[in-house]
Amino acid sequence: MDTLLFPLEWVVANVMVIWHWIWSAIGLDPAAGITWALSIVGLVITIRAALIPLFVKQINASRAMQVIAPDLKKIQDKYKGKKDQASREAMSRETMELYSKHKTNPFASCLPMLIQAPIFFALFRVLNGLEGNATPGAPTQGIGMLSDTLMEQAQSATLFGAQLSETFLRGASVEGKILSAVLIVAMVATTFLTQHQLTRRNLPASALEGPMAQQQKILMYVLPFIFVISGPNFPVGVLIYWTTTNVWTFGQQWYVIRNNPTPGSDAYRAYQERMAAKAAKKAAHGGTDASTAVIEAEAVDESGPKRSGQRQQPKRKNRGGAKPQQLPAADDLPASDDKDPS
Amino acid sequence: MSIAGKALTGAIRGYQLTISPLTGPRCKYHPTCSHFAIEAIQVHGAFVGTGLAGWRLLRCNPWSNGGVDDVPAKGERLFRITRNNAAMLPDPTPARPI
Repeated sequence: MDTLLFPLEWVVANVMVIWHWIWSAIGLDPAAGITWALSIVGLVITIRAALIPLFVKQINASRAMQVIAPDLKKIQDKYKGKKDQASREAMSRETMELYSKHKTNPFASCLPMLIQAPIFFALFRVLNGLEGNATPGAPTQGIGMLSDTLMEQAQSATLFGAQLSETFLRGASVEGKILSAVLIVAMVATTFLTQHQLTRRNLPASALEGPMAQQQKILMYVLPFIFVISGPNFPVGVLIYWTTTNVWTFGQQWYVIRNNPTPGSDAYRAYQERMAAKAAKKAAHGGTDASTAVIEAEAVDESGPKRSGQRQQPKRKNRGGAKPQQLPAADDLPASDDKDPS
Repeated sequence: MSIAGKALTGAIRGYQLTISPLTGPRCKYHPTCSHFAIEAIQVHGAFVGTGLAGWRLLRCNPWSNGGVDDVPAKGERLFRITRNNAAMLPDPTPARPI
């Protein structure tokens, strides 16, 4: 584990030192706690900025969601009210196949989240290393540009009287306990708000019911307690890192939810209303050009099948509807027939 | 299932019950990465299953298109760049020529 994390620890330490250098160059006291705290904030900025290309790619991939909205609606109508496992599975399969076919996907994908977890552990270890450096028995070695002298400086730096490596439980000073407590509250609050924003605003109504959603809701309220238990073990620096990350995530999510909401969600309704208001405003100004007219016509079309969605109940027709994938193959039949005998 | 397989499956179930609901749905593929991992371990054992799950996680990135991607059956080619979709017929020739 140590050898696996070492390259990451090295990167984390170096990024922090670079930021520390930048803040010092601006005029902050190199030995002050705020400089080292801001270095951690800088670390968050660096990591999340490096992940922006992934984020942009994901946004672009979800752009075409609007185009396939009618097809998506068709699938949703087909499985309306069917809650058994097999139907859910079939619906999920069809939906995913549709996304894949149109090379669009509303989901963020798993890998980016997994990359961030080791960075967090690396920071945890670097900050714990600071503390290990301070205890007289076991001096640790510097990592990368984070030399022993810098480590000592970082260790003795205090933010509101608290050291960055202090935890609520092992902190010696009262200030450390107070700052830890404040940061734990901030961490819990930002985590909760980010969760709340994501689940309550940007999930379609269908995802807000069922056992999974129920569990999600329970966890969202249980999580603060988990943090209250685990938080006292986190060094002040880790708490700063976590809170800053949450703030960044919140802002990023806010942007996505505003401009690229998941179809069918609360945020999507708000988005459409905003777009309609915008179009109406444009029309009122006399600028009724062809493009807005087309957009409005599409919006009307979309509301049409919505109302008639109930009439699509007959099953026979739907069964037939599931096969169009094979239809092209049937169309090719004459051609392949010609070739087969020869 | 071996002890290692059971331990891995338990860890993945733990993830599904606690961490996953908090991050919201995020996987691009149909059996989600975690479901894929459990199934892969069940079908191919802890070692190969973990490899398959790792390969799947690498493919679940912002540049992939997602879609339905099933665990390859035993004896089938394991690691492929395209998706392995049991629902999609690999060979489009019709069953009964007219």
